[in-house]
Amino acid sequence: MIDAHVHVFAKVSAQFPRDVDEVTPAESEATAEQLLQQMQDTGVEKANLVQIGGTAFEQHAYLLHCLKTYPDRFRGIGLVDDPAHPEEQMDRLAGEGGVIGFRLFSIGGERDPLAPIDVRTFDTYKIWKHAAEKDYVIWLYPPAAENHCVPFLVDAFPELTVVFNHMAFCPGEGSFSYDDAGRPRIDLPIPPITRYNTMGLHQYPNVCVKLSGQYAFSKEAFPYADLVSWHGALFRAFGADRLMWATDSPWILQEPGYDKLTRVIDTQLPDLSEADRALIMGGTAQARLFDRS
Amino acid sequence: MPDFKTKLREGSCLVTGPTREERSFWQEHGYLTLEGALVGDDLQRLQGAFNRAAADCKDDWLEGIARGTTPAAHFDIPNVLERDDAFIDLIDDPAWYPYLMDFADQELILVGSQVRTLPAQPISYVGWHADVPHTNPLHMKVQVYVEDVPEDGGVFAFVPGSHKPDAGPCPRPRLYEEMPGHKTFPGKAGDAILFNSYGWHTSMVNRTTSPRKSIILIYEQWTQDRVANDRFASVADRLTTPERRRLFSLDPMRAEAK
Repeated sequence: MIDAHVHVFAKVSAQFPRDVDEVTPAESEATAEQLLQQMQDTGVEKANLVQIGGTAFEQHAYLLHCLKTYPDRFRGIGLVDDPAHPEEQMDRLAGEGGVIGFRLFSIGGERDPLAPIDVRTFDTYKIWKHAAEKDYVIWLYPPAAENHCVPFLVDAFPELTVVFNHMAFCPGEGSFSYDDAGRPRIDLPIPPITRYNTMGLHQYPNVCVKLSGQYAFSKEAFPYADLVSWHGALFRAFGADRLMWATDSPWILQEPGYDKLTRVIDTQLPDLSEADRALIMGGTAQARLFDRS
Repeated sequence: MPDFKTKLREGSCLVTGPTREERSFWQEHGYLTLEGALVGDDLQRLQGAFNRAAADCKDDWLEGIARGTTPAAHFDIPNVLERDDAFIDLIDDPAWYPYLMDFADQELILVGSQVRTLPAQPISYVGWHADVPHTNPLHMKVQVYVEDVPEDGGVFAFVPGSHKPDAGPCPRPRLYEEMPGHKTFPGKAGDAILFNSYGWHTSMVNRTTSPRKSIILIYEQWTQDRVANDRFASVADRLTTPERRRLFSLDPMRAEAK
């Protein structure tokens, strides 16, 4: 199994600087070693570490440290500090080894879907262009307001591997909060209304969807029965070779627990063949993330 | 397959219903194209109503998109019947109403209407699909083009014959244009396509730089309690004829029905 989306971070220090907020205060940590213990206990072999704690190169220090320390176990997704001049940081992070892609929380595109769309005017255009040139992955979690811009970018760079985060939900304004456990909570309709702009992307063979974050979007407790239909729709549209299971650790360690989330796909997609299950639980991530140079 | 097109209003002839040839074509292929269904003042009135309503509602639509509660992939004007009588008059427009009544054995009800603007973008908002299973009463739609819709402008597309019970499900190709046997319907403003919703259809990709404007009218053959008698109550004051009141389910279709 490969966990395609987890976060690790160290206590704030000179060696590992990072931003702090209410869910990641300075003294908190979710270390690679803690993660590896969870993985070992549950049979997960590899994980994809997604940067948290800031966009500056220096704030990637702990991510880079983990990637160097455990090169056979981890790959990494970085953040971009300056979308207007992203190339140097993208190459520098990738050059350190292990960083294979970059996460975007916005597009910087036209918010009126009826207006003329020119991707070259998007704030993040240079990131997409450089990622396409260097074969980096785009790890995508766009806001609902800009989701209609994504098909234009995918169409402009069809060779680019694009991975929609968290079941392709796109947070809307006012939808984000924290639950009682201090975890992200996103209140959106199920299935997401943004599906009208995402499901059609199945026609592009390099667009993938990550099956994670159920705890944040479901209106029910584990095993999140209200998301079963949506998982089925994603499976029918994209197929197992473009879906990746992930836990979004550490936010799920207390509730429902890492172990339970290793079985969440069995309840969300109960009729999977063994081959399809193997793809979703790691095969797709191996091919799309770990087998990159 | 020969195409069939009904020329409407040539010589100001009132359309009274399908000819034998039209009925046969409908039964075999599941659609009729109604070229020039709306022209002249009628078309201009509809275009004006469409554009005014869209302008009135656009800010709310954009806010809904930002909140993640409204689709960006299509802009539907809410409560459209209340906004302009042009949208009510469209429901029983003589260009298609006689056909619908005939196909529904004179027991036709309105299910709803969608006044829709479709942004130009590289994907379609909807895949190939049938709207209802054959267990559903006869379900029909009329797609009216409010502006010209070129071949690459998000045209309506249909798989002729796919409405038949023995046709079976259509494949789900990765690319829209790979659907076997499908037909696209580019058209002029005022053209309409009447189709059987058992049949597989979609909106093709709009690769132009202009949004597609169309209106989709949804009807069914009447069955008891299918549409609540208060669904269109907000416009009841404008539905004064017995025919309209039955069409909008304000009055029972049959004397014995409650």
